[in-house]
Amino acid sequence: MSDARKVMTIEEKLDLTKITTDQNYEHITINPEICKAKCTTHDCVYGCPADCYKFTEGEDAEGPVLYDYVACLECGVCRVVCPHGSVDWHNPKGRFGVEFKHS
Amino acid sequence: MSEEYDFEVIVVGAGPAGCAAALVLARTGVEVAMLERGQYPGAKNVSGAALYGPVLNNLIPNYWEDKGSFERHLTTKKTTMLSEARSMTIDVDLRDFNQTPYNSITVQRPKFDRWLAEKAEEAGAMILPDTIVEDFVWKDKQIVGVKLGDEELRAKLVIIAEGANRILTEKAKLAKHPHARHYGVAMKETYELPKKLIEERFHVTGTEGISNEIIGHYRGVPGGGFFYTNENTLSFGLILNVKSLIKKKLKATEVLEDFKNHSYIRKLLKDAKMIEYSAHMIPEGGFKHLTKLYGNGVIVVGDAAGMVLNAGLYIEGINFALESGRIAGEAAKKVLESNDYTKKSTKIYKEKLKESFVYQDLKTFKRAAKFLETERIFAHYPELINGLFYRLLKNNGRPREKITRAAIKHILKRAKLLGTVKDVVGGLTSL
Repeated sequence: MSDARKVMTIEEKLDLTKITTDQNYEHITINPEICKAKCTTHDCVYGCPADCYKFTEGEDAEGPVLYDYVACLECGVCRVVCPHGSVDWHNPKGRFGVEFKHS
Repeated sequence: MSEEYDFEVIVVGAGPAGCAAALVLARTGVEVAMLERGQYPGAKNVSGAALYGPVLNNLIPNYWEDKGSFERHLTTKKTTMLSEARSMTIDVDLRDFNQTPYNSITVQRPKFDRWLAEKAEEAGAMILPDTIVEDFVWKDKQIVGVKLGDEELRAKLVIIAEGANRILTEKAKLAKHPHARHYGVAMKETYELPKKLIEERFHVTGTEGISNEIIGHYRGVPGGGFFYTNENTLSFGLILNVKSLIKKKLKATEVLEDFKNHSYIRKLLKDAKMIEYSAHMIPEGGFKHLTKLYGNGVIVVGDAAGMVLNAGLYIEGINFALESGRIAGEAAKKVLESNDYTKKSTKIYKEKLKESFVYQDLKTFKRAAKFLETERIFAHYPELINGLFYRLLKNNGRPREKITRAAIKHILKRAKLLGTVKDVVGGLTSL
């Protein structure tokens, strides 16, 4: 077998994890006003192990960072890294969110 | 408190700490409910994961007779220093660990936590999955229950076992908002690897297994990697300090992919098929950053209280969780007997904990957290030691140097000497 390694993207990796998305409730929200006014370091982008936080593109974007709760692994890092208190963290409602089988 | 209550004790979280507390209480006939936010105990939980046999045996005697309680028992511990193209591994083979109750065992948390919760259930505890505790019910500055949306459940005593993301512990006023510096982010990948390949690759037979801790720096971010063998899967992952990632402006996910590209890692993951990706936050603040452990009507156990030890050679979480949970169960029983639920009474938990290895190990290694924060430990030494061996082993057609002279010259040339001396002194005294 050749030694060349096929690099899996984070999306491909997250496809392996069972996550039941609650379409009616975002368990984590960020406050674009706070992000826009205070954030220059974007710590959430670097700390998140599921790449849920991404830099926004385009000038009329809501804030400096875009967040999508769908792939969240519920680790809590974003709540801890944000120095401005912009991340409002709640647990997903019962039966929703991540469901590990082998971790 | 003579008012109505739904349960004598409510345990929030059905991880190892919560299960241990509920099990101990249920065994003594206490009405205890364990509220779990996951679809089942373990559904939201992630660890390396190895734990100590004697600690589990203390809670569930002869646990190993129960098929499915563990994956493998560890007989080999490897510690690897990794740098750019090189690696050096210390391989300690301890076949004397082949005897029950086994020194260390590996587990998969969704399986193990469920098994442990079933033990608590068999003893009489009630388990409520899919149950999210949002806040507490207070009365005269004392916690007297939990809020589940519009519903309330009352209890004489609440034990918080919510895990590393300690939202409720803060709401119970036992901790303040945490600081990134005191946390690590752990990313884990579970791989399927046939039993036969595991045995060949790691030189084990039967239920023997290995652990491999890997110290190094990955694109300038200090971190600890790990491999644990399970029955027919491999647990692999990387723990990075959150603050270091931010400082270097590197994404955790990218550093992990880089780490996996090292030939040492590639060799071990060859032909293995990834079946799950998971992540978890790790409290790394150590003794100094433990939360308050008790309050009026409340006790905190395990990760929620920050009971994790990262001292290089030892990374402890589940053991502390099991033991602090067990002690909390015993303490809660005493609190119930006293009929006083104020902190004057609940402090017995801390007193009991002080006598245990949990508190004492955290205290013994209280400076280790600070010592390991020093990026040199991860960034400098793996490179230094690998460089030395390169120098000693490289054949260049010239006479060999004396080993000691080569070592001294190499260290003088490569190490920032003052820093090194400081680290050695700091390291020896903190570890």
